[in-house]
Amino acid sequence: MRVRGLKKVFEGSPPVVALDGVDLDVFEGELLCIVGPSGCGKTTLLRILAGLEGATEGEALMRGRPIEGPGPDRVMVFQDYVLFPWRTVLGNVLFGLELKGVPRRRAVEEAMKYIKLVGLEGFERAYPHELSTGMRQRAALARALACNPDVLLMDEPLSALDAQTRSYMQEELVRIWEETKKTIVLVTHSVEEAVYLGDRIAVLTARPAKVKSIVEVNLERPRNRFAPEFLSLQMKVLDMLREEVIKALSMYKPRSS
Amino acid sequence: MKLKDFAIAAASLLAFFSLWEAWYWLVVKNPMFLAPPSKVFKTFFDLLTGNYGPFFMPLDVLYSLFHYAVGFSVAVVVGFSIGLVTGLFKLADRLSYPIIELVRPIPPIAWIPLAIIMLGLTHQAAGFIIFIGGVFPVLLNTRHGVASIEVKYLEAAMTLGATRRLTLIRRVVIPAALPSIMTGIRVGSGVAWMCVVAAELFGVAPYGLGYQIEIAKLYFLLDVIIAYMLAIGILGFALDVLYRAIEGKVLAWRAGLVVS
Repeated sequence: MRVRGLKKVFEGSPPVVALDGVDLDVFEGELLCIVGPSGCGKTTLLRILAGLEGATEGEALMRGRPIEGPGPDRVMVFQDYVLFPWRTVLGNVLFGLELKGVPRRRAVEEAMKYIKLVGLEGFERAYPHELSTGMRQRAALARALACNPDVLLMDEPLSALDAQTRSYMQEELVRIWEETKKTIVLVTHSVEEAVYLGDRIAVLTARPAKVKSIVEVNLERPRNRFAPEFLSLQMKVLDMLREEVIKALSMYKPRSS
Repeated sequence: MKLKDFAIAAASLLAFFSLWEAWYWLVVKNPMFLAPPSKVFKTFFDLLTGNYGPFFMPLDVLYSLFHYAVGFSVAVVVGFSIGLVTGLFKLADRLSYPIIELVRPIPPIAWIPLAIIMLGLTHQAAGFIIFIGGVFPVLLNTRHGVASIEVKYLEAAMTLGATRRLTLIRRVVIPAALPSIMTGIRVGSGVAWMCVVAAELFGVAPYGLGYQIEIAKLYFLLDVIIAYMLAIGILGFALDVLYRAIEGKVLAWRAGLVVS
């Protein structure tokens, strides 16, 4: 995926410039994390990549072609999962396969494969409301993976989880990513998460957002969150982010002179 | 707990019938004005077994259910379709709103003369009155359910590959709106069933619960009138139980989401 000079203005009074001049490349098979101060337009960027939102200016390309709408080659995993409450876990995972017209028996086999992959075996007949938050997250992930997308777009997928579940799910995510070899673009507000998960980290500026810096994470997996290299990298990204957060906060203050 | 609920329901009914019985013997004392439940129950049984003059209630039940089925099935199809279209498209909603709100307050019985003139003394005419009664709850609830679907479900479906409008409607809009649609069907069914009496008053068929009330009125057979009223009440209740059961089955996924 390639993004060049992306600008997004939300109409209104006053109009909000969410993104201005975003340049970004997403490489095949990588896990790219996007961090930025809250409200900077991370989610907007992801929604443009998903095709749920159009860009005001600039281009967003998927394998050289402009992104014109949503499609199962770029599945989005939402912050609040958005499982279909009227379908069971299996039914949710089957959704994309049904749309592709996969014959029932093969579709169920395929869906079960992903349900097993995310560790939800035995819960395939449960409805979303019967699951814990962490399990819903897994179900949403299985549903997205079952579409066999080229790119998985994840919008703060773990932010609703408690701390223990969260770090466990991070490990799970790395395992699933390694097993499926998918390209993942993951938006997060947690620098630690980004350093733990990402091959690269794109740090966005305060609104209107552009890419401030791309940080390569050259750490062996599984990563040790307490290794000095891990911590120093985390500090480096946090420092970049801090400047932007201060900028972001100052935007809300009334100017005194 | 179940047993206790049942006991309370039984006690309530028993008290109701006792008061009614007492009212008859202490105050009314005249079979031209009221029949006591003791008499009504006996008549009810005789009507069921065909031992009361020309009356035979099972046939009336069949005829009434037939009229109900004719009218209400059309009401569900039409109400659902218009509700879906008006819920989906703003323009259709704006265009249909004045018409719907103009026609809706007209009571079904006001349609009787038109129904007879247009359709004659036919089952369709009875069905039409029942249709008028049942269609609006189905329509309005469907429209509401469809219009208030959360955008996030549509977006999720779109990123999973549901890009065609028809696919979204079939796989997301309708299932998401189903709770509302089912409510509409249940409420509409209640109204439609109440219209059965009105629809049969004008004699579209030689049988029917509503029709026999009209006949019994001519002969001042108050026990028969009340027995048929009871039959309408019991069947209406049974229909509601049936729809609740279907609702519980179809909306099993909601269990726990709503307290009901």
